[in-house]
Amino acid sequence: MTEHDPKGRGAPGGASRREFLRGSGVAAATAVLTGQATAILDEAQAAAQDSGPKILKGEVELTLKVNGHDHACTVEPRSTLLDTLRDRLDITGPKRVCDRASCGACTAIVDGEPVYSCTTLAVSCQGKTIETLESFDTGEHGVPHAFCKDDGLMCGYCTPGFVTACKAFLDKNPNPTLEEVRKGIDGNICRCGTYVGVLQAALDAAKAMKGA
Amino acid sequence: MANWPETTRLIGTRIPRLDGLAKASGKAKYPSDVHPEKMLFGAILYSPHAHAKITSIDTTAAEKLPGVKAIHVVAKAGATLRYQGDFIAAAAATTEEQARDAVRAIKVEYQILPHVVTEEQAMAAGAPAINRGGNVRAGRASVHGLSDQVLAEIEKTVNDLPAAEKDKRRKEEYEKAVNDVLGKADAVVEGTYSLPVITHTCLESHGLTAHWTAADKLTVWASTQGVQVVANELAGAFDLPASNVTVLTDFMGGGFGSKFGADIWGKTAADLAKKTGMPVRLFLDRAQEHLAAGNRPSAAGKIKIGATKDGKVTGLIADTHGTGGFPFPYVYEIPVSTRVHSDVFVNAGGQRAFRAPGHPQACAIMEAAMDDLADKLGVDPLEFRIKNLPTDFHGPLYEAEIAMGAELIGWREKRKPRGQTGTGPIRHGMGMALHQWGGGGAQDKKVSCTIHPDGSVELKSATQDIGTGARTVLAIIAAEILGLNPTDIISNIGNSTFPPGQASGGSTTTPSMSPPCYDAVTKARDELFKKIAAAVNAAPDQLALKDGKLLVKGEPAMSWKDACRKLGMAPVSETGSFVPGLSSVGVGGCQFALVAVDIETGVVKVEKIVAIQDSGLIIDKLTWESQVYGGVIGGLNYGLFEERVMDPTTGVMLNADMEMYRLAGASDIPEIIVRAYEPHEQKARGVIGVGEPPTISTAAAIGNAVSNAIGVRVSQWPMSPRNVLDALALASKEGKA
Ligand code: FES
Ligand code: FES
Repeated sequence: MTEHDPKGRGAPGGASRREFLRGSGVAAATAVLTGQATAILDEAQAAAQDSGPKILKGEVELTLKVNGHDHACTVEPRSTLLDTLRDRLDITGPKRVCDRASCGACTAIVDGEPVYSCTTLAVSCQGKTIETLESFDTGEHGVPHAFCKDDGLMCGYCTPGFVTACKAFLDKNPNPTLEEVRKGIDGNICRCGTYVGVLQAALDAAKAMKGA
Repeated sequence: MANWPETTRLIGTRIPRLDGLAKASGKAKYPSDVHPEKMLFGAILYSPHAHAKITSIDTTAAEKLPGVKAIHVVAKAGATLRYQGDFIAAAAATTEEQARDAVRAIKVEYQILPHVVTEEQAMAAGAPAINRGGNVRAGRASVHGLSDQVLAEIEKTVNDLPAAEKDKRRKEEYEKAVNDVLGKADAVVEGTYSLPVITHTCLESHGLTAHWTAADKLTVWASTQGVQVVANELAGAFDLPASNVTVLTDFMGGGFGSKFGADIWGKTAADLAKKTGMPVRLFLDRAQEHLAAGNRPSAAGKIKIGATKDGKVTGLIADTHGTGGFPFPYVYEIPVSTRVHSDVFVNAGGQRAFRAPGHPQACAIMEAAMDDLADKLGVDPLEFRIKNLPTDFHGPLYEAEIAMGAELIGWREKRKPRGQTGTGPIRHGMGMALHQWGGGGAQDKKVSCTIHPDGSVELKSATQDIGTGARTVLAIIAAEILGLNPTDIISNIGNSTFPPGQASGGSTTTPSMSPPCYDAVTKARDELFKKIAAAVNAAPDQLALKDGKLLVKGEPAMSWKDACRKLGMAPVSETGSFVPGLSSVGVGGCQFALVAVDIETGVVKVEKIVAIQDSGLIIDKLTWESQVYGGVIGGLNYGLFEERVMDPTTGVMLNADMEMYRLAGASDIPEIIVRAYEPHEQKARGVIGVGEPPTISTAAAIGNAVSNAIGVRVSQWPMSPRNVLDALALASKEGKA
């Protein structure tokens, strides 16, 4: 019974919530302020010029490395990685559902770590390697194929998040038990109720990935 | 009249959905993903108050913000807002961030009006009236099982009364008559049971992307479960010929009954697109999705029910209310019953159809009362249920299903009588419940089937896939008839301009679409045979299709493709309609739950659920099972977690998000055993839908399992720590536990 902690939903891919927050844009947000507070910022910027956090404002030109390609885009400092991928780069695999780090639909892999891209700022991802599920192997040895075969999806809107969390988890835990898989994808929510297929798909994908 | 083939190669097997890989690889484009060139992003301003009047609204500042292209105001000065989340205005801008800034910059002055947001508030003496006719609308009492003579006497008594008193008096007379029956019962229980409002929480929020391709031609990508419903609504709203509106829904991220129409936001998106001359994407944010996009209404019932000592229910009196209605009594044969229901109005988003509308509420209340009565009689609640099954064909069906389920959960070996479940802090309990649903199809739907000379086969219909696998089901039927594989079939749905298709609701899609699909493909095949028979030196009735080959007089003659090539230039194309004999209506089903309850913390852990479901002929066992699992998990959420929490003081919803509005994650999922009840006579009934039935009885079974475990009834759903501990505290105050 001790495992049943209503607030203790893990992050995608098995990182604890705390670790996750450290790695995501919430930390970065302290260094980046929104484009609206520009007047105050101008002064602050002058003061903080050479030391302390870097201050961005207005429009920011950015190059993001997504799925192996460099994408130039214009964002605002407050733009999330998710909105940047979806709205500006037309990379729409990751979905926006809760928009605040509680459902996992937006999961992307940044420098090998799964993150909730809805609470990761795009500007914090400059120079990092971003992977979304569009880049995953869709053949028999890949995670997407296992989800399809085991019907780990219905409407499919949560599915990109589950597939991504699952891939990130399996990359680090190639031989998981069912209980480990449960923990590993506990940061994701499905409304259609596909968990039975999802868990089977994760176990099957673990096996299939070894054949790759 | 037609029949499904006696032996099938594909139908009833486990076939992965055709679009599964597209969904699992992120390549499927949902309406909220589509990005036509020059598209603007929309954002919505909605009421922050539960009840208010707009005294002024000023968009000047908002219009001047960078990137803002248009603002469309729906609720103007003088308009009344009836709930938090009520639509006010929307903006379209170059980026989504700018659109959100724009709605934030709209200046609105509100005159706050008094609100009621909970049923308790609405029903309290002296509550502000928020609805013309009062916050509570009492329905007329209904009655069942009284003799004509008794009824005539009651009407005589009531007749002379003034109109206003008639209903009240009739209710009293009915209750008196049933009470007479209950007076002779060996055991009678009275209980009050209640279930909260829950929201659909579709993961893809409601909305659409609107694109005017000409001044009088509108294309929208809508997240909907009814492409043709949305098309008709938009055509009406913009005064367009219906054929000038195209609604496209290749994929959609969940609806559960809440996504049939264009809605005010859909029309507003089209308005903004018209104003700006650019496509506009407008979807609700997560909070508004909870607030404004529908919910399962609450339900509460004061139930009095009695039975003889040999376990036959004799009568029932129900006084129910809620923010919506539900059928009652439910499932069981009750000789005499009366019921009165009141609808309660609150300043909160309105109800919409939600997976098996009304049934989970009815089931939970009925099954709790049945269980409590069995307990009072001191009999096994399973045996008690069997003694009170309906007398129609459902009776034997339930009996067979109960036997299957009892075996799988270990009812006879493991279940202990209520409360006799040990002395430690963790108590195990078992519960069960029965449900019923219609799930028949419409008879006016069409499917077209085109066989091209290159061998490709295309099905078309204006239905859509809400997640059930509708696209795949059609392809399986076609492939079965044509001797091909489902992946050989192009199954085109999700387009309102295709032949009329069924909206995805009420478990009606598969039974509505399968017969016309069967008909279209059969006709197209026969037409193909007619056209190519001469070329293969045979009569059309000497041709057959098997394993991707054309058989002539029973012998494989050539591949499917070569056979189709004989068509020359002209494809064959046929449209199919409803054919009797292929579909049916009416299902039962039962579920069992095993739970562990920590009586110190009130935490309930569901350890196992068994779901037995009949639904006639199953087309795709794999996606059928997914629907049953999904229904069960939906019911588990209802049973354990979900609840719209309204703050009486401020009138706002306190959990309009996805962390405090709790839904099960992978760790909350118990072992779930799903079995189809499908003996030959079930298959012979033809296709029946399965979306709704398996979600109905889960919360009821869990509730009964919890009571079995802890020895007292938890009369309020969900089975949250708070409700469990409250029930234990109440019982210990009353000296019961
Ligand atoms: S959308 Fe990012 S976690 Fe829900
Ligand atoms: S498949 Fe619909 S939300 Fe998971």
